[in-house]
Amino acid sequence: MIDAYTIQILVVFGINAIMALGLNLITGVTGQLSLGHAGFMSVGAYTAAIMTLRLHTPYVLNLLAAGVVAGLSGVVLGFPTLRLYGDYLAIATLGFGEIVRVLFLNLEITGGGLGLSAIPSKTNLAVVYACLGITLYVMSKIQKSRVGRALMAIREDEVAAIAMGVNSTSLKVQAFAVGAFFAGISGGLYAHYLTYINPNDFGFMKSIDSLSMVVLGGMGSLPGVLLGAAVLTYAPEKLRFLQNYRMICYGAFLVFMMVFRPNGLLGGTDLRQLVKASFKGLNWGAMAKQGARTREGIGGSKDGIA
Amino acid sequence: MNVKKLISLSIAALLIVSVTAGCSGGQPTQKSAEQKPPEQKLADTGPIKIGFLGALTGNVASYGINTLKGMKLAVEEINAAGGVLGRPLEIVIEDNRGDKTEIANVTKKFVTRDKVAAVIGDPTTGGTKVAAAICQENKTVLVSAGAVGPGVVEIGDYIFRDVVIDPIAVPAVVKWLKDSLKWKRVALIVSVNNDYSVGQAKLFEDALKKEGIEIAIKESIQDGDTVFTSQVTKIKKANVDGMIAPIYYTEGALLMIEAKKQGLNKVFIGGDGLLSPVLWELAKGATEGCMVFAGFSPDEPDEITKKFIDKVKQVYNEEPDMFHAQGYDAVYLVADAMKRANSADPSVFKTALAQTKDLRGVCGVLTILPNREPLRTPINVLEVKGQKFALKARVPVTAPQ
Repeated sequence: MIDAYTIQILVVFGINAIMALGLNLITGVTGQLSLGHAGFMSVGAYTAAIMTLRLHTPYVLNLLAAGVVAGLSGVVLGFPTLRLYGDYLAIATLGFGEIVRVLFLNLEITGGGLGLSAIPSKTNLAVVYACLGITLYVMSKIQKSRVGRALMAIREDEVAAIAMGVNSTSLKVQAFAVGAFFAGISGGLYAHYLTYINPNDFGFMKSIDSLSMVVLGGMGSLPGVLLGAAVLTYAPEKLRFLQNYRMICYGAFLVFMMVFRPNGLLGGTDLRQLVKASFKGLNWGAMAKQGARTREGIGGSKDGIA
Repeated sequence: MNVKKLISLSIAALLIVSVTAGCSGGQPTQKSAEQKPPEQKLADTGPIKIGFLGALTGNVASYGINTLKGMKLAVEEINAAGGVLGRPLEIVIEDNRGDKTEIANVTKKFVTRDKVAAVIGDPTTGGTKVAAAICQENKTVLVSAGAVGPGVVEIGDYIFRDVVIDPIAVPAVVKWLKDSLKWKRVALIVSVNNDYSVGQAKLFEDALKKEGIEIAIKESIQDGDTVFTSQVTKIKKANVDGMIAPIYYTEGALLMIEAKKQGLNKVFIGGDGLLSPVLWELAKGATEGCMVFAGFSPDEPDEITKKFIDKVKQVYNEEPDMFHAQGYDAVYLVADAMKRANSADPSVFKTALAQTKDLRGVCGVLTILPNREPLRTPINVLEVKGQKFALKARVPVTAPQ
C-alpha cells in the first residue's frame, strides 16, 4: 500500500526525471552546458496552463503543445547561441532563463507576479510515468542512433566531428529542441500537478537543480540521470529529520559525491552494461572481464566527460 | 577500474534500495519526542496535531520563523490551560524553504502521514495556494497566517486566513481619511511594475471615488527608481491634502526625501508595503508623520496584545511583528473552532471556523465573513514618530455590502 506522501514524491521524481533527461541530451550527450533549462520548463508550464484555463482544450493536447512551444523556443534560442562555445553558451542560456522569467513576470496573460492559480489538477502518477516511459524510450533511441553518435562526437571533439562531416550547428540545435521539448512536457505536468505556477518558481536555482541531477547521476547515462533525479528528489525529503541542518547535509553530500565520483554515480555506463554487469556480478572472473571491456570501450569518453 | 566499477554498482544498488525502502517504509520521520503508538486509527486520544507550513530557511524564512514563534507561544498557553477538548496541541514542524514543490511535499506529508487536524501557514500567497489545493482535496483545514493576495479562500470550504486583507481595509481607511482628516483632494502614486502596488492602488481608486475624494493627480513610478523629482514637482503643483502611496518602503523613503527637499509638507499614507524600519533609516527625518495601516499595532496595546508583546520580548528577546501576531492568532482561531464544534475532526470544526464571530486576538477582533474572508477590526493606522511606528488611530471596519 503506497500512501499519498510517497505518491507525491514519486510524481515529483517523475517530473524532475523528464526534465533532467531532456537536459541530459543537451549537456550529457552533446556536451553543451545549458544553465537556462528551467526557462524551457517555464514556457511549457505556462503554455499548458494558459491553454487549459483559457481555451479549455484537452489535457493531452495541452501537454503536447507545452512540449512543442518549449521546443520551438529551444530552436529560437539555439540558432544564435549554439555557435558559441563553452562558457559563452552557458552565459547565453542563463540569460535566456532570466528573460523568460522577467517576461512572464510582466505579461498580463501569465498573471504577472501573482502567477496562475486554480489550474485543474490533472497530472497523476500514471500520466507522469507514461510520459517518463516515452521520454526514456525516445532518449535511448536517439542515443543509439546515428544522430546520437554524432552528438557524442560533438561532445568529445567538435572540430574533429566537423572534419568527419558532422553538421554540428544543425545537430546541436536539434538536440536543444528535443531537450527543450521534454522540459516543456515536464513543465506542463508540473503546472497541472501543483495547480499554481509563478515565474519565480522557474528561476536559476531550478536550472541548477536539474543540472545537478544530470551531473550527479552521470552525464550521458540514462540510468544515471534517473538515479540522479531520484537521489536529489528524495534526499531533501529523507533528510527532514535533520531539520535546520538538512540543506547543509544535502550540499555536503553533493560535494562528497563530486570528490569521490566526479563522473557521477553511473557516469559512463549505459543500461545494457549495467544489467549485464549485475547479472555477472556474482561471478568475480566475469566481472573482471566486464571491467576490462568497459575500460576499452568507453574509457575515452569517460575522460572526456570528466 | 574493476574496483571503481564495483563501488559504483554497489553505491547505485544501495541508493536504489534505500530510495524504494524509504518510499514504501511508511515510518513517520517526524521529530516529536513523545511518539504515540504507531497504529493509531482515528486520533481521538493523544495530542491534536497542527502542521506548521512555512520556510525556516531560504529567502522568505523571516516570515516563517516568526509565524512559528507566535504559534509556539499560543500552543504553550493553550496546553498550560488544559489543552483543547482535554487534549494537548502539538505542532508538527517542517521547513519548506519557500519552494513550491517542497510546499506540496510537506502538505501531503501533513495530511496523509501526520494526519494533522489543521495546517497553519504558509505566510506567502503563492505557497498558500499550492497547499490549499491539497488540503481541500484531503479535507484538512488550512489557516493561512499571511496570505493577503486574491483567490485564496475561493479554493474551497476548508481554506481560511486570519490576515487584514486590502479589499476590506482600504475602504475603511479611506473613509477615515475623509471623516477624520477631512481630505478632499489627494495624489495617488502607483508603482506600475509591482503587482501589490497596482492591486492596492485600484482598491484605493474605487474607495476614493465612492467617498467623493478627488484624485487630483495620479503619478506612476517603478520599483527600482531612485529619482522622483518630476513626480514630486507635479504633485506640489496639484495642491493636494495628502498623498496615497501604495508602494514599497525603499521607493517610499526616497519619494519622501524628495518631497521634503521640495518643501511638499503633506503626509503620505500607504499599506504594509511601507511598514519597515527602513523608512526612517533611509529617510532620517523626512518620513516623520507618514502613515501606514496594518492589522497589528505594537504601540498603545490593549491588555491581550500587551501580554503577548511582553511574552515575545521575554521568550525570544525581540520585538513582535505582524507574523508573530498572525501565527499566534491562527492557533487560537483553530482552537476556538474546535472547542465550539466539540470536535477535532476538520470536516466538523470547519463549519464552526466559518462561523467565527468577534474572536479577540492580538490583532484585534476577528470575524469570518460568509465568503470565508476574514474581517479584522479595528485597523490600526500607524504614524512614523521618531524611530518607531506610533499608533495614530484605530479605524473600525464593517463588513462590505
